[in-house]
Amino acid sequence: MNRRTQRLALIGGVLALLGGAVGVGAAHAESPSPTVPAPAILTVGITQDIDSANPFTGIVASAYEIYQMQYPTLTQYSAEDFSIVPGLADSWQESADRTSWTYKIHPGAKWSDGQPMTAKDAAYTFNRIINGEYEQTNYGNYVANITKAEATDDTTLVLTVKAPTPLMTHLSVYILPEHIWSKVSEAQVKSYKNEPVDGQPVVGGGPFVMAERRVGQFMRMVANPNYYGGPTPLGEVVFRVFQNQDAMGQALKKGEIDFADGLESNVQKSLAGVPGITTVDATYSGFNEIAFNTGAQTVDGKPIGDGNPVLKDVTFRQALSYAIDRQALVDKVYGGQATVGTTIIPSMFPGYHLDPATQYSYDPAKAAALLEAAGYRAGADGMRTAPDGTAIELRLIGRTNNANSNQVVQFVKGWLEAVGIATTVSLKSEDALTEIIGQGTFDMFEWGWVVEPDPDYQVSTFICDQRSYEDGGSVLAGLSDSFYCNPEYDRLYVAQGTETDLAKRAVIVKQMQQMLYDDAPYMVTAYYNNLEAYRSDRFTGFVAQPSPSGSLLFQYGVWSYLNAKPVSSAGEGVAPGESSASSTPGWAIPLGVVVLLAVVAGLAGWARRRRGGDGPADDRE
Amino acid sequence: MPTEPDSRASRGSWATPGVRYAVRRTGSAILTLAFVVLFNFFLFRMLPGDPVKLYTRGRNVDPEQVRKLSAALNKPIGEQFLEYLRNPFAANVDSVKYSQPVWSIIGERVWPTLLLVGLATLIATVVGVWLGIRSAWKRGQRFDRVSTNITLVLYSMPEFWLGMILLIVFSVGVFGLPGLFPTGGLSTPGIDTSSLRGWLDVAWHLFLPVTTLAIVYLAEYSLVMRASLIDEMGQDYLQTARAKGLMDKLVRRRHAVPNAMLPTMTLIFLNLGFVVGGAITIEYVFSLPGLGGLTVDALSGPDVPLLQALFLLFSAAVIVANLIADLLYARLDPRVRT
Repeated sequence: MNRRTQRLALIGGVLALLGGAVGVGAAHAESPSPTVPAPAILTVGITQDIDSANPFTGIVASAYEIYQMQYPTLTQYSAEDFSIVPGLADSWQESADRTSWTYKIHPGAKWSDGQPMTAKDAAYTFNRIINGEYEQTNYGNYVANITKAEATDDTTLVLTVKAPTPLMTHLSVYILPEHIWSKVSEAQVKSYKNEPVDGQPVVGGGPFVMAERRVGQFMRMVANPNYYGGPTPLGEVVFRVFQNQDAMGQALKKGEIDFADGLESNVQKSLAGVPGITTVDATYSGFNEIAFNTGAQTVDGKPIGDGNPVLKDVTFRQALSYAIDRQALVDKVYGGQATVGTTIIPSMFPGYHLDPATQYSYDPAKAAALLEAAGYRAGADGMRTAPDGTAIELRLIGRTNNANSNQVVQFVKGWLEAVGIATTVSLKSEDALTEIIGQGTFDMFEWGWVVEPDPDYQVSTFICDQRSYEDGGSVLAGLSDSFYCNPEYDRLYVAQGTETDLAKRAVIVKQMQQMLYDDAPYMVTAYYNNLEAYRSDRFTGFVAQPSPSGSLLFQYGVWSYLNAKPVSSAGEGVAPGESSASSTPGWAIPLGVVVLLAVVAGLAGWARRRRGGDGPADDRE
Repeated sequence: MPTEPDSRASRGSWATPGVRYAVRRTGSAILTLAFVVLFNFFLFRMLPGDPVKLYTRGRNVDPEQVRKLSAALNKPIGEQFLEYLRNPFAANVDSVKYSQPVWSIIGERVWPTLLLVGLATLIATVVGVWLGIRSAWKRGQRFDRVSTNITLVLYSMPEFWLGMILLIVFSVGVFGLPGLFPTGGLSTPGIDTSSLRGWLDVAWHLFLPVTTLAIVYLAEYSLVMRASLIDEMGQDYLQTARAKGLMDKLVRRRHAVPNAMLPTMTLIFLNLGFVVGGAITIEYVFSLPGLGGLTVDALSGPDVPLLQALFLLFSAAVIVANLIADLLYARLDPRVRT
């Protein structure tokens, strides 16, 4: 056979196979017709994989979403306004002498493997944390005040406390099954994966349990048939990990995922007009601020770092607070997807948020007047000097990996220089900035916080005890990044930590916010929104927290997972998760076979040509 | 008659120049590895950052617990160094971020990278070398001109950009055409990867990333192969072979190509060393759970134990690949052995 005939034969063979393959593929694609409706599968795109499925180890936010789906807590935050509502506990009561709290556990509750879920599991979990070493990292602060946990019967849990504490109504401790976790020793708990083994889902008591996990790719959570809160419309929730936002946006458009959370502004905007997709600009519990070095000292009073001494002056800081235009930042940097920030408890928490009566408005004239009056006179070049004559130059640090931060510091520099304060801007990585803050070698920086529903943690970042401390010759950082220290503020902090009447506690927390607003260790710039988007043509019934404009997923609670359902009613039409876009299409298998055969045929033909037909004998050298 | 300056008789029959060369090269590879092990320790400790903050930033950790964490993670540097030296490849070192032994984390994520870059290298080698040979042999003709221009364009294209374009065109679909491939990931949830269906599923997911990488690599190999073959084609001994009546095809296949292959082969092996380092931009574009993404993740923190292990792995891979390239080259080209 000469080469031309060989080639024709090869092409003919491939075409024949292709024809056969298309036929097979077509037949295959027609076949799936289950009489039982497929479970509704919600696929959520996330940009950060969980670091660990073990609730004692996980750090990242997506991990906590998994934990709260998989394990119950005693109480929950309501979807409307973060008020405390029952979780696993139907009711709770502080004892008359204020030394203990009694919780009535929901009767008849079961774990996903059918074992009874009782107060004993709750007591086990709390005692494990109280007496544990490693377990203290994630949950130690909730049990700091609890001396012991006891299950007086199957439905009664008693927690004994050292002193009255308001945290007892909302302990974010995930109740774990004793019959599983008692087999994990103290030595093993750190590396215990808590992932499905041999195809068996993880044992949990929440509405969904983990059935499959592939690291870096996805997690499958399936509905817990024994969930004490009753059946959920969703049968499965799949979290798919994307490493870049653009691909996630495209996946949402294409229908590979049904929900995308934590989107960047430009990606969310590209989804805005697409039919079938609803974008959500959710109010969020985070804020950004410009922080001042109000006089860095260790907890022992030893000065550290090289902060500019003018920043120790309250009047100076207040004047600067009038010099910046927060609304302009919201409009230009956050693209309107934020609200002007005031205090350190975001407006999303109406119970605790303080809206100050008089606020820092954008008033450069007032700022300049305040500075002049306080002795910071402008020189001939317009730049101000300290009362003792030294030139003022402030260093402002932004964060390299955050686009908003980069822009904010440029704007702020412009506004400060407009009132005569010379400012130099630099950008650092968050890790480098963390070190700089701890050592006090800065004047101002831009960063932000995400605030929990309970204000204790956030307000604690301003107490004197949270400043840097010395240990073994080196200076280590606490939580305080402004080095604010006010004994009056510390007194209020202790008071709110022991006030169990929520209304009275809110009053104290608001007083603290007013103090911080007046003393201005921070200039809170904005409460930024959380940007989400989802396929509203496929799923509905998401519950915002708080009502009406909060986040739909990644909340402090699982309300959306309990209530979301497919748009087409169960059993009818396409079960959303089963679209062919997300699984191997019918043509892939026969095509793969064809390609394989073509390659083999090609190699065989090539090998034949190499061996035989080399030409006359005297060509072989 | 000049005697052959053969040292074989004087040194003993096993110490041929070839063996001595091999020993020298291996020795120098080991020294390089030792240097890397040392350098590795200090490199990541120069990065700013406090590993304790990984656990505590933005979370409510009891101050007492913070102090304990700090003591565990910030041991004095001399102590850390001795611990490290005892066994740089220690299997029980935990990652700070994941609290799992570092080598098991790496083991989980090495296969996607190997699959991706290995397959791409294989395809790129076969196709690229063939293209280069064909272009060089028919130099100046239409095939050569078209092929060279195309490969130049492909070679200068940033791979992540090419990846994004392929993703948009073939995964999302343009001009009303449907997207045929997934937007990311390595496999579909719910499909068992050890079944045939699972293998095809993984192949379907890998199609676009492997194609992207293969295109970029093959352009490089093709250009290098072409250049070195053109160089070779000017040699006198090929003229002699033709004068003797040897078929053109054989002149090419038996004489020109093997000699011209050497630079390309070196290049291939060097690139193989970088296989484990991963194609991090491709992994990023296609959301593949490989070592590239793991490294970037580990840099924020920084997660020093994980970074150390990754760096050791990457360096060792390159050093070993380099060594193999050297030894193979010596085997193929005796001139190198002196």
